[in-house]
Amino acid sequence: MDVRFENVSKTFGKSAVVDQLNLASDDGELVVLLGPSGCGKTTTLRMLAGLEDATSGDIFIGDERVNDIPTQNRDIAMVFQNYALYPHMTIAQNIAYPLRVRKIARDEINRRVNRVAEMLEIGALLERRPRELSGGERQRVALARAIIREPRVYLMDEPLSNLDAKLRVQMRGELKRLQHDLGTTTIYVTHDQAEAMTLAHRVAVMRAGKLQQFDTPMNIYNRPANRFVAEFVGSPSMNFIEGRVDHSSYKFASDALTLDLDESHLARLSGRDRVTLGIRPEHIEVSTADHPGWLAATVYVTELMGNETFVFLRVGGEKIIARASAEFRAEFESRVFVKIQMERTDFFDSKTGLRI
Amino acid sequence: MMRSLGKNRSHAATVRGRETALPYLLIAPTVAVLVALSIYPLIYAVRISLQTGSGEAARWSLANFTRLASDKFFIEALAHTFIYAVVALTFEFLLGLGLAVLLDRPLRGRSLFRSALLIPMMLPPVVVGVVWRLMLNPDFGAINGTLKGAGVNTESLTWTASPVLALASVIAVDIWQWTPFMFLVLLAGLQAIPQEPYEAAIVDGSTAWQTFRYVTLPLLKPAILIALLLRTMDLLRVFDQIFILTEGGPGFSTETVSLYIYRTAFRFSDFGYAAAMSFVLLLLTNIVSVGYIRLLQKQEAA
Amino acid sequence: MSERYAARKVAKSQSPAKQGRPGATRTRLARWSKYVLLSAAVLAAVTPVYWMVTISLKSEVDQFASPPRWFAFTPTLAHYYDAFFTRSFAKYLTTSLTVAGLSTICAVTLGTLAAYGLARFKLRGKLDQRLSLWILSTRMFPPIVTAVPLFLMMRDLRLLNTITSLVIVYTALNLPFVVWMMRGFFRELPRELEEAAMVDGDSRLGALVRVILPLVTPGLAATAVFCLIVSWNEFLLALVLTQTDASMTLPVGIAGRVTQYEIKWGVMSAAGVVAMIPILAFAMAVQRYLVRGLSL
Ligand SMILES: Nc1ncnc2c1ncn2[C@@H]1O[C@H](COP(=O)(O)OP(=O)(O)OP(=O)(O)O)[C@@H](O)[C@H]1O
Ligand SMILES: [Mg+2]
Repeated sequence: MDVRFENVSKTFGKSAVVDQLNLASDDGELVVLLGPSGCGKTTTLRMLAGLEDATSGDIFIGDERVNDIPTQNRDIAMVFQNYALYPHMTIAQNIAYPLRVRKIARDEINRRVNRVAEMLEIGALLERRPRELSGGERQRVALARAIIREPRVYLMDEPLSNLDAKLRVQMRGELKRLQHDLGTTTIYVTHDQAEAMTLAHRVAVMRAGKLQQFDTPMNIYNRPANRFVAEFVGSPSMNFIEGRVDHSSYKFASDALTLDLDESHLARLSGRDRVTLGIRPEHIEVSTADHPGWLAATVYVTELMGNETFVFLRVGGEKIIARASAEFRAEFESRVFVKIQMERTDFFDSKTGLRI
Repeated sequence: MMRSLGKNRSHAATVRGRETALPYLLIAPTVAVLVALSIYPLIYAVRISLQTGSGEAARWSLANFTRLASDKFFIEALAHTFIYAVVALTFEFLLGLGLAVLLDRPLRGRSLFRSALLIPMMLPPVVVGVVWRLMLNPDFGAINGTLKGAGVNTESLTWTASPVLALASVIAVDIWQWTPFMFLVLLAGLQAIPQEPYEAAIVDGSTAWQTFRYVTLPLLKPAILIALLLRTMDLLRVFDQIFILTEGGPGFSTETVSLYIYRTAFRFSDFGYAAAMSFVLLLLTNIVSVGYIRLLQKQEAA
Repeated sequence: MSERYAARKVAKSQSPAKQGRPGATRTRLARWSKYVLLSAAVLAAVTPVYWMVTISLKSEVDQFASPPRWFAFTPTLAHYYDAFFTRSFAKYLTTSLTVAGLSTICAVTLGTLAAYGLARFKLRGKLDQRLSLWILSTRMFPPIVTAVPLFLMMRDLRLLNTITSLVIVYTALNLPFVVWMMRGFFRELPRELEEAAMVDGDSRLGALVRVILPLVTPGLAATAVFCLIVSWNEFLLALVLTQTDASMTLPVGIAGRVTQYEIKWGVMSAAGVVAMIPILAFAMAVQRYLVRGLSL
């Protein structure tokens, strides 16, 4: 079932936590809400769940406006960040709860509990209590409780954030596969951009209650709508250089450095003066040897990641991060040379931050 | 889906309505009971305290309040209450703190000691009265009996029957009964103090006394305040044990404000004057309870 | 808790001042004096109670013996028989049980619902917080202050000397306590538990019954026991409101014997022992919550 937010706002007291949100998912889509802490992701999800009332605007599940429908009648399932397992019930009872309150026959419940437990490989845990489980196991139980029913929508609020890094990556894959198999619309909240990129069909990036961009992971990464999205997505972050466009000499000049522009750049930048140039670390080449047209830089520090090296550089007064191969070696303060791949640059309006 | 849609919608509004009304429905009975049995009686008391005479002859006047200032019994009852409260509070606090410190560290038989020490506090006040009437009876009480056995002349030691010793005796009984309360609250406070400050103090080379003075006491302050405030409120209103032990006597030597109010209302049926006096008591305890509530609020906020 | 002490012990043994022989002797001395002091305190706490128990079991000859007979006496149950079969103490006992039981049920039921409302809903204008504090403040009234008007009110309602009046008054007496205790227990449970239940399709009251109440059951039981203790022990209001054999509680019955001219010490002690026993049992039952309950 598709989900739609139309001009939805939420204010606590005076502050608008969600501001004029418009968002529409397709049926069966996995939408990730991504944004920094406090940007209103959880609040958005809770409004969809009916745990919080929208101050204004309309929320739809399918064709039904759900604003006035109480949580228990919205036919949704939710995985909470801290799982919210019922501590006094066994795992089997936890998973069975959504069916129990719907007064489904006992053998039908047992059958479905066993099926879901098998699917998530928690069959051996059914008689235990939540406190006897590890974090990863609890996470699966919370998931099992959500998928035992076939709700219209799954809501997940940072379901993986309490797991260690390895388990997180593993569960991430399993979640993606599960969602694909079930084919149920899922709204997934996270502030981890890697999670968003790997899981989502489409990512909705939020900032301070406002939707910044809603698009596929590829487009979010390659065509960020504004400087905020460009900076938030990608690790290490995109480099930004403030400067001026000189239309007559085909140059982009900051205080520290000058870069050559071509026709296509100028076409895009026509009529502009001050702009911000953005370039991702992987689009900067670094070498200890000089090449014609490369810029001289000083190494501040290098971080070997195993499969690659992050090189923190000073080019003139600008601080820039570049991504180099794992074999790249350079001393502190040594002199190296960089090439900015001009065809991969993005430009942003210096005032509004919008991509040009 | 489409079929259930209409159904959902039709009762959605009522469920919503109930949800917003729900907290009020839950709270209302309690508020009603408290208004009827705590607030209304207070208003009732205000009314009768402002009236003299009864029935048809009742007149509005401040006589009950002006009378307070010149009432020797009342002033004396106030004095007894204060002495009782100050002395009992001091001893209960110091003894309770001492016992709490003794039992703070692990010790063989610790929980047994703790449980045994709490017994007096749990007893019904009336039973405390009975227990101490038996202990303090001048003729066959255990105390005088033991003293006699040791060769002490117990002739003048009539305890609760002696105008000189009666107040001290009832205070001693209070200390016996309520030191355990101080002990319990302070012990809990001590045990809630984390280990690190002690370790830091030892590393910094402080002596046992310095550690107690500069680490333990400041960290224990919230527990101390709670215990002192609660005890003070209880001490100012003391009634039960004194009523059983001495009924305020001999003479009026152990009559506290609560006892005097009781006597005025239920022996002399002077309800208006009793109500007037009870407002003085309420005012006194209120000063303490405001402090207590502030403290609780601060703790809740933290 | 035990880990903490283990750590403290380690810290202690590492402290240079406390090492070596003189230190060890001092520590041993300190431990012995600790035991002596604590034993003295326990003796002081328990002896008077023990004395009452012996009086309740002694014949009159043994009661009035000098020097006092602490251990050497022939026990008899005559006073218990006298109190509960020839005198009215059995009646007082049933009255006490009835009043304590009924008022506890009322207070716990009403108070728990209110506590849930106050713990889980944000009301307009911080009404939830204000109400909570107001409820707590009614607990601070000295009983004598309300005793006088309550007596007159009950007289007007013709409820003096009835069990009903005591049940009503004790319900009000315990309500603030129940509200604050239960509010604390509810607040300790994560809000997400009810939210999860509602997402799973349960109503709010269903979530309360199926998810929340089972989780606060230990606290609820402790709260109820505290109410029983308070109602059982209460004296002043019972004294004011009930004066007939048919309506008075055990404490009032005992007090009547104590203050009358010719005192039957054995009967009084026997009744005292019986009044004390359930309380000690209750206190054992709520050990874990004692501090929390008593510092409210
Ligand atoms: N009940 C509330 N009352 C007042 N302010 C609230 C309430 N709930 C949330 N807020 C505020 O709304 C903002 C958004 O909160 P929300 O929980 O939606 O953030 P989030 O994006 O989920 O952040 P996180 O990643 O940290 O979970 C925050 O600034 C928060 O302080
Ligand atoms: Mg959140």
